[in-house]
Amino acid sequence: MKDDRLPLTVIGGYLGAGKTTLINKLLTDPRGQRLMVLVNDFGAVNIDAALLESADEDTLTLTNGCVCCTMGADLFMAIADVLARNPRPDHLIIEASGVGDPAKIATAAKAEKDMRYGGIVTVVDATNFARLSDDPMIGDQIKAQTACADLLLISKTGSIPPALRAQLSTLTGADQLLAGDVQTVADLLITPWGWPGTQLFSKPHPDYVNWSGTGSDDFSRAALREKISMRPPGLFRLKGFVRGDDGRGFLVQAVGSTVAISRIDQPDSTSLVGIGLKDRVNTEECGTWWQAG
Amino acid sequence: MSDITVFKAKKIITMDPNRPAATHVAVKDGKILAVGGADCAAQWGAFETDSSLADSVLMPGFVEGHAHMMAGAMWQYAYSGYHDRTDPDGKLWKGMTTIDEVVASLKSYAATLAPGEPLVGWGFDPIFLPTERLNRRHLDEIAADRPVVVMFSSFHVMCVNSAALEMAGYDEDTEAEGILTDGNGTPTGELQEMAAMFPVMHRVGFDFKKLSQEEDSIRSYGRTANRAGVTTITDLFATITPESLETLLSVTAEQDFPLRIVPTIGAMGAPADQIAAQARELAASSTDKLRLGGVKLMTDGSIQGWTARVKWPGYVGGQPNGIWNTAPEQIYELCEIMQREHIKMNIHTNGDEASEVVIDAIDAAMRKHPWRGARHVLQHAQMMGADQFARAAGLGICVNLFANHLWYFGDQHAALTIGEDRAMRMDACRSAKDAGVHFTIHSDAPVTPLGPLFTAWCAVNRTTMSGRTLGKAQCLTVMEGLHAITLGAAYTMGMDDEIGSIEAGKQADFAVLGSDPTAVDPAALKDVPVLGTVLGGRVNLL
Ligand SMILES: [Zn+2]
Repeated sequence: MKDDRLPLTVIGGYLGAGKTTLINKLLTDPRGQRLMVLVNDFGAVNIDAALLESADEDTLTLTNGCVCCTMGADLFMAIADVLARNPRPDHLIIEASGVGDPAKIATAAKAEKDMRYGGIVTVVDATNFARLSDDPMIGDQIKAQTACADLLLISKTGSIPPALRAQLSTLTGADQLLAGDVQTVADLLITPWGWPGTQLFSKPHPDYVNWSGTGSDDFSRAALREKISMRPPGLFRLKGFVRGDDGRGFLVQAVGSTVAISRIDQPDSTSLVGIGLKDRVNTEECGTWWQAG
Repeated sequence: MSDITVFKAKKIITMDPNRPAATHVAVKDGKILAVGGADCAAQWGAFETDSSLADSVLMPGFVEGHAHMMAGAMWQYAYSGYHDRTDPDGKLWKGMTTIDEVVASLKSYAATLAPGEPLVGWGFDPIFLPTERLNRRHLDEIAADRPVVVMFSSFHVMCVNSAALEMAGYDEDTEAEGILTDGNGTPTGELQEMAAMFPVMHRVGFDFKKLSQEEDSIRSYGRTANRAGVTTITDLFATITPESLETLLSVTAEQDFPLRIVPTIGAMGAPADQIAAQARELAASSTDKLRLGGVKLMTDGSIQGWTARVKWPGYVGGQPNGIWNTAPEQIYELCEIMQREHIKMNIHTNGDEASEVVIDAIDAAMRKHPWRGARHVLQHAQMMGADQFARAAGLGICVNLFANHLWYFGDQHAALTIGEDRAMRMDACRSAKDAGVHFTIHSDAPVTPLGPLFTAWCAVNRTTMSGRTLGKAQCLTVMEGLHAITLGAAYTMGMDDEIGSIEAGKQADFAVLGSDPTAVDPAALKDVPVLGTVLGGRVNLL
């Protein structure tokens, strides 16, 4: 059992927040994935020359199999071009524009059957967020970029100031990480972690909680949706297959607060895996949720 | 054989104050040699008289400062709009005023397609058909065995049939914003915004960008312009690749291609320096009939979509203020760099807050990098008031007002978007003129049909679809309206040295008309027949 759809992760955040820095780091250590990145300006993505295989007017090809491309003015047609690529990349990352709404881009992955929602990461500049979010011109757009995020990366600070943390918490329940913590972003969103029955990470990871659950109940779509919606909020990702009560099964993919449920052939048994940050969730909590009638 | 041709006309309206009217115009090497009576070229040597236009009225070829190449290309698809519209080949497509008429019309169109070929319609406007919402059931009646896609005139919404939904895999299990569903979770067929539309679009091969780059599209843009009396037109927000540039160069270079095109590239999706460099490089490829080198900036959205950035008191329905497609600080940066690099900007601003930010940004750029002759143009500028026009005039900024909106959307603006007070002074041609702003007026084709005489009629009469006059104080005279679509437009495009009036030294570009627009009732200005154009002395009658 696997999911062949192209995952899309959108990187949001205002101008200068540090979106390209994040992209550069992801490209440098792509976790064995052939990443395809659509950016506004690849001049700003400072790829290490040693990693560069070739560069032309609007495409950078890296020796690790990743490609970085400028998207031009027509983002959605650029996405269609990515879907038409052969071979298809393993993961698509799109840098939203400084005032762009990452959710609007990510919707493409929910609508397009050959794609899968792979999360929104919004980079927040600790030094000017309070001012920008209060700006009469762009404040609403800045707040919307933050509210739709599954992960917040706070840049330009060594520790997240309590006032900022509090303000961001009023906008979103998303985990707040320091921007230097690219490892966690890659672990949670890029690294292909195991399907039920396979090892989650190659070795136990101290920062994460891994959970897996099985079951014999046959779910209706509504009941499954209800069940998934009750999952512990700290369970950042959840995926697996679930038996349906109509002879067909469900494929579940949850990232942050977004849940996608699609239909598959009936699996032999129901099996789910999940991961979350250790300080946000524990396996007992997950087990209690899953076992609850 | 002489190399001087003297065209005889019933009347020539020159737009040249030195000789406002004439009966003959002499042409040599594609340019105007002399204007006047039958002997106007006598002092230049032997000439031949061409009487093929003797029964026509000539004006300077009309100049459209805001349109898109798609205006021609859309006719590859089935027209589905409310208003009558003429295609590039002169066929009249009757407007469809009920959903049943849309269905019947598209059904007969489907019969002309190959089996299984997708049927794409365009121009549908739900605002005018309020009784029922178009849905998949209607479109299934048109065809069940092929995808049917009807693009709305806003280009932000489409409706598709069951076959198209199936193609995209949209069913009761699909959950994404923009895929509208009924009470049971079944998609109704209505898809809103690109994220929900593109899975259908790429599967039926409906690609705006490619469409605008095809040879056929360029040719049909030429024919569309020819029918409207237009000899010079923009293609704002063009995407130009090395291959599409080749195509543009070769099609426009054809002797019988009847149009000068001024494409401006979109200043988005790349850093300012890079855009400036591309514009500069393109400028070097310019020819007589293809003028490259300008850029188009986006700022806010649209008023009827409630996405324009408007000043207090905002929208009458209490909708939140609109959105920036380019952040104000980026607008400042783009303006500064384009000004520094001497690159002419066309800047989309619908709401008055957006206009204000752009005026501020250009003001700041001008202080740093003086360039007096820049003639940057605010495009649409629909809500600018006298105060903003005064500032624009002081800075040498031109405006291109969306006069066609007065008729098409004027009633809606008064009732639903910005309210009576500001709707009365929308697209304020009189205020612009009084302030001394160089201005023109536009169609934004294909958003509304290309037709400068209609656009001038809008600015002269300010009549809405319900028949009211929206802001009498802003009406232009007929001569002012005609100036706006000729010399006024040429000035805003920095081409008034060679087009926009019929006078010695300029290009022999004419609109060939069936009657005298200055002699008809101003309310009939839009009905003056266009018989064709002359481009560089070459006659292209319909
Ligand atoms: Zn336009």
